[in-house]
Amino acid sequence: MNTSRAIKGLVVFAVLVTLHYTLRPLLGWRAPVDFLIIAVLLMAVRVRPGAAAVVGLLSGIAADALTPESFGTGALAFTAVAYLASWLKAVFFADNFALNGIFFFLGKWAADLVIVLAERRLHGLDLLQQVLLWSPLSALVTSAAGLVLLVVLRPLLDEPAVA
Amino acid sequence: MARTARSSNSGADTVLLIVCLVLALIAVVLPGDMRRPVAEALRRSALAPLLKLQGAAERGRAAIAQHDATVVDRDSMAVRAMTIASLESENERLRRILGLAQRLRWGFVSAEVLHGKGLGEEFTVALTAGDAAGVRRLSPVVAPEGLVGMVTSTDPQTAQAIVWSHPDFRVSAMSTDGKAFGIVRPHIGGTGASRYLLEMSNVPFRNSLATGALIVSSGLGGTYPRGIPIGTVMQELTTAEGWARTYLIRPSVSPGDVTSVMVLSPQKVQTGVASVWTSVAAADSAARAIANAGDDAARRAALAELAARHAVTDSMSVDDSTDVNESGVRPPRPPAPGDSTLRAQKPGDSVVRAPRPTSPGDTTVRRRRRRPPADSVPPVAAPPRAP
Repeated sequence: MNTSRAIKGLVVFAVLVTLHYTLRPLLGWRAPVDFLIIAVLLMAVRVRPGAAAVVGLLSGIAADALTPESFGTGALAFTAVAYLASWLKAVFFADNFALNGIFFFLGKWAADLVIVLAERRLHGLDLLQQVLLWSPLSALVTSAAGLVLLVVLRPLLDEPAVA
Repeated sequence: MARTARSSNSGADTVLLIVCLVLALIAVVLPGDMRRPVAEALRRSALAPLLKLQGAAERGRAAIAQHDATVVDRDSMAVRAMTIASLESENERLRRILGLAQRLRWGFVSAEVLHGKGLGEEFTVALTAGDAAGVRRLSPVVAPEGLVGMVTSTDPQTAQAIVWSHPDFRVSAMSTDGKAFGIVRPHIGGTGASRYLLEMSNVPFRNSLATGALIVSSGLGGTYPRGIPIGTVMQELTTAEGWARTYLIRPSVSPGDVTSVMVLSPQKVQTGVASVWTSVAAADSAARAIANAGDDAARRAALAELAARHAVTDSMSVDDSTDVNESGVRPPRPPAPGDSTLRAQKPGDSVVRAPRPTSPGDTTVRRRRRRPPADSVPPVAAPPRAP
């Protein structure tokens, strides 16, 4: 990973984090777009799994700062998802829109699953509703947004490094 | 070699993963009183700019959500603001009506004017007071600005009145100095805006009226008491008659704007309304004069004049018995300090009154009323025909 590629990756990451804290609250959807998981996934496929785990940990900690009651759950989820994404990057990101969409969808859904289960806040019907309805919807929206961002940010996104 | 490097990288990745997972798990199991300081420290340091951005975005979203309600509120305010002008004018008008009622004191009936459909010219209006309230046929209808018209028919609850724009409207009028008399009628021949003017005809040729002169009812004919303002002279009209002049009059009252009026009772017509409108003009001019004389020098001069007047009054009271004995005429009472009228000195008056300087806009000087020459008295205003 040369310097130019690293700088481009950091710019994309910064843009997506900024979108996460500006556009997402501005839209205010019930099933929100998670720009942070998109940023983590795009960064994870460009670095080694260990570095991806660190990126996921830091991003998750940042996300958890707003919810002290479930502090650490986001870090746990993002770490796991980032590591797996980096490990599976050879499978995904084959410049195929459908595969990339599935990648974003599964990444977001998996992160939500880990967070919801680790929080142990929801139970019964609420848990099922969150896991089977709102989380997939949010993952779907995130997937669509991720694909749009892939097209828009293509000049800044090089081919992911193959492990 | 490459395999060794790859396996060492995998080992490092695994170690990093384990470290990250352990840290995340530690964060999860941290007790509440330790989580909050960590989260707060993050919010105050690294996340502060991002949270500021999020706060701005939340405010933007709230503004968007409230936009419709804000627009509705703004529109409501705009509508209310549009009505403020009419409310203010109505308030002013009601205050003036109240002031006129206090000056008339008795012999009137207050009524609201019910305009018609507002299509074209309206010569008649309905009043919300009728027989039951004491409104009688041929009673004058007045407003604070002056004459509005005359009642033509009544029923127990309402009355019908013609306004001055009615073709049959006639009123005997005169100038305020009593020199020129004439008949005021609508300016029927006028076109456009001049249709809504009055004309004063049959003014003797030797009497000319200056532009801006106030025309009031003369009291001749018995329908309208003397002294109700009708309008002001605009210009002299050229007519074929060589023995009389005709003037165009700007009415004091606009019938379309009148909402509240007073109907004078027959008793009040007989008693007269003299000084009701003229005292208003006097009070206004006096107030203007006081407002204009705000500088200290003028105030001091006024005080000096007042002191001089008191001195003259005192000397007169001392010489009172002597004056009566010599001339047989009791001198008039000296004017009170607040008296706003100034009478012209009689030729044979033995009492010397100090003339009070008047401001340019002061109209409080009343001259002795001169009776018009017998040949200048115009014919009595004929009552209007039934519309």
